[in-house]
Amino acid sequence: MKKTLALLVASTALTVAIGVPAWSAMRVPQDDAKPQPIAALFDDGQEALPLIFVSDDDDDDDDDREDRRSSRYGDDDDDDDDDREDDDDDDASGGALNPAPAGTVAPPQNGLFGNGAPPQIQVK
Amino acid sequence: MIPMKSVLAALALTTALTLPGLAMARPVTLTTTLNNYGGDGAYLAVYVTDPQGAYAGSLWMAGGKSKYYEHLPDWYRATGGDPAQINGITGASVGAGRTLEITLDLADALFDAGYTLHIDAAVENMRDSPNEVAVPLTTDGAGRPARGRRYIASFTYAM
Repeated sequence: MKKTLALLVASTALTVAIGVPAWSAMRVPQDDAKPQPIAALFDDGQEALPLIFVSDDDDDDDDDREDRRSSRYGDDDDDDDDDREDDDDDDASGGALNPAPAGTVAPPQNGLFGNGAPPQIQVK
Repeated sequence: MIPMKSVLAALALTTALTLPGLAMARPVTLTTTLNNYGGDGAYLAVYVTDPQGAYAGSLWMAGGKSKYYEHLPDWYRATGGDPAQINGITGASVGAGRTLEITLDLADALFDAGYTLHIDAAVENMRDSPNEVAVPLTTDGAGRPARGRRYIASFTYAM
């Protein structure tokens, strides 16, 4: 008897756990103003989903062999024959961040600098 | 009416707090002149090691793209290329034959205490040059030019 009761309780709990969110997530007419917290979760998720354009165009970067040959650094495939000059394209590659330029933030607190005064630079 | 003693005490305290700050740092100008090596702009990492030879911190990075920092091998090994090490002390790469002058407010504790200033250099499609320059930071060494191994014609620091 105890076993049967346990099975019944378990199956009921499963049904409630699966059924309530599904029921709540079902679409209802717009004029229904009743709050549906679980449905709201699903709606938020749908809005956050990115719109992805799927193309059958074979755009697999195999058309830039020339660029790869031109640079020993390999990771520079931006068609501009990058010559290391600072051309303001700020393209951090591989997710690596570029450092903040002088004057935009204080020098690091590494114990080497005095009062945090910005460096003065001159190129002749 | 504020008692005279309190005013004097406050003045003494502010003076005592301010003077060490003024005395603990000084403006130092680092002047780096590059050779006419016939290549693109050079990336330069200027950093300091302590008396034990361990990386103490960076003073300047010439070159703003982190993807090239691995070509400054000694600096990169010490820092892992961490941009936080050079935030606020980064500028453009330096062209061949040009002179870069940087004036920094440096801690007095760096001088005559066994610290060494190093410069790693790299130029695209040319050989990387770790430890291009290594000069001990001493008051006597100020104004004395040091020659680099490959790209740097001369380096001096002046106080």
